[in-house]
Amino acid sequence: MGVSVADDDNRQRFIAIALPHLDAAYNLARWLTRNDHDAEDVVQEACMKAMRHFGGFRGDVVRPWLLQIVRHTCYSWLKENRPAEVVSFDDSDAAWRESAAPAADEPHAVAQRKADRALINQAIASLPVAYREVLVLRELEDLSYKDIACIADIPIGTVMSRLARARGLMQQALLPGARPVLRTVARHAPHAALRGEKK
Amino acid sequence: MSTPLDLRHLNAFLDSELSLSEQLEMETRLEQDDSLRSEVTGLQGLRSTVRQQADYHAAPAALRNRIAALAGTPPVSTAAPTPQRRFASRPAGLALGLALAALLTWGIVPRWWQATHDDRLMQQAIASHVRATLGQRLVDVASSDRHTVKPWLSARLDFSPPVHDLQAQGVVFLGGRVDYLDERPVAVLVYKQKEHVIDAFIWPTQEAESPMRASSHRGFNARHWTHAGMSYWLVSDLNQDELAVVAYSLERKDSGDTAR
Repeated sequence: MGVSVADDDNRQRFIAIALPHLDAAYNLARWLTRNDHDAEDVVQEACMKAMRHFGGFRGDVVRPWLLQIVRHTCYSWLKENRPAEVVSFDDSDAAWRESAAPAADEPHAVAQRKADRALINQAIASLPVAYREVLVLRELEDLSYKDIACIADIPIGTVMSRLARARGLMQQALLPGARPVLRTVARHAPHAALRGEKK
Repeated sequence: MSTPLDLRHLNAFLDSELSLSEQLEMETRLEQDDSLRSEVTGLQGLRSTVRQQADYHAAPAALRNRIAALAGTPPVSTAAPTPQRRFASRPAGLALGLALAALLTWGIVPRWWQATHDDRLMQQAIASHVRATLGQRLVDVASSDRHTVKPWLSARLDFSPPVHDLQAQGVVFLGGRVDYLDERPVAVLVYKQKEHVIDAFIWPTQEAESPMRASSHRGFNARHWTHAGMSYWLVSDLNQDELAVVAYSLERKDSGDTAR
């Protein structure tokens, strides 16, 4: 297979410019696939794609660009391997009504409580994937709404509502005594909780 | 009272994503509305809990090497074409190249160059440290949370520095800033032990791994080492022994990271 000079150039540039953001790429893939092995496969595939298309990259911010490719690759992978997780999403008002907003003093109690690390991780892992990705991009990558909108391919208004909803679900999951299912789910099969929740 | 619109705006307010006028409007509303205020406090609590406690999955070293290999680059380093090669195209250059090669073989030039280079870097690092402490602007991003500082730095630099807190060692993590050293933008992680500020300068380097070396200049102490393609300079007015403890803790945390 012949590799052109341009390809070679792109690869070199990719190593210098995009590889420093590999942690961010892996973190996103790991949270979306919830599995080390699958995350590695997805990131590797995404990087191959990114290298091929690096010639077309004209922006100056590599991280959102790379994350967009990783996210897209994750979704293709999920569609193929866990189709139940990528249901089409209803961001309309109706989706909001199904869960009441927590009473005002409850989240405060959560803040005061020294929440358990495993519980936090489990609560994030149990979020539907569309909420999980905006939460991870916002809280762990500290990206702006604009970047998140670009990565997840949704309008900024949708970023706002999904993030609000994701945090609402997190607050509910972290309420003392709420959702014991989150605590009993085995670590190696976290998606079982999600399937249960979708019902 | 929590209509969906309020919650969306409350979250955007928390993330500083509202326009200035909306932000001010929300602040006025918060002053008057107790339940709204407690909701914001709750969301802030949730946010810091998630940022501090959620796992950040760093890419495994094996994956990084595999991708570098796929790109046709040996994982160790990408050496730029050496100047000798350009010289060699002309006869005069060839002679100079040979002389240079001889010096290189004896190891005189590298050692001399390295020493003055390190000296210069130490002085630059100390100057930056002093400027920051004098100007009361120690950090650009003030946070004891490495999940806040690391993305902030990676967004502004062409690399992602390893960020560790050393709370277990009794060292307070104040945050980070970006500075200019060795003719490039570098990450500075700022720590405090007792009343002493410690600056950790980090940037990618082509230099080989080197063990930790201590030096001092005008009452400031420094520690320098390179590991996994990153150059580290710690500068502080802390005494050499205590600075060594901090430096070794940082180095150990770092090796733990790359070994994982």
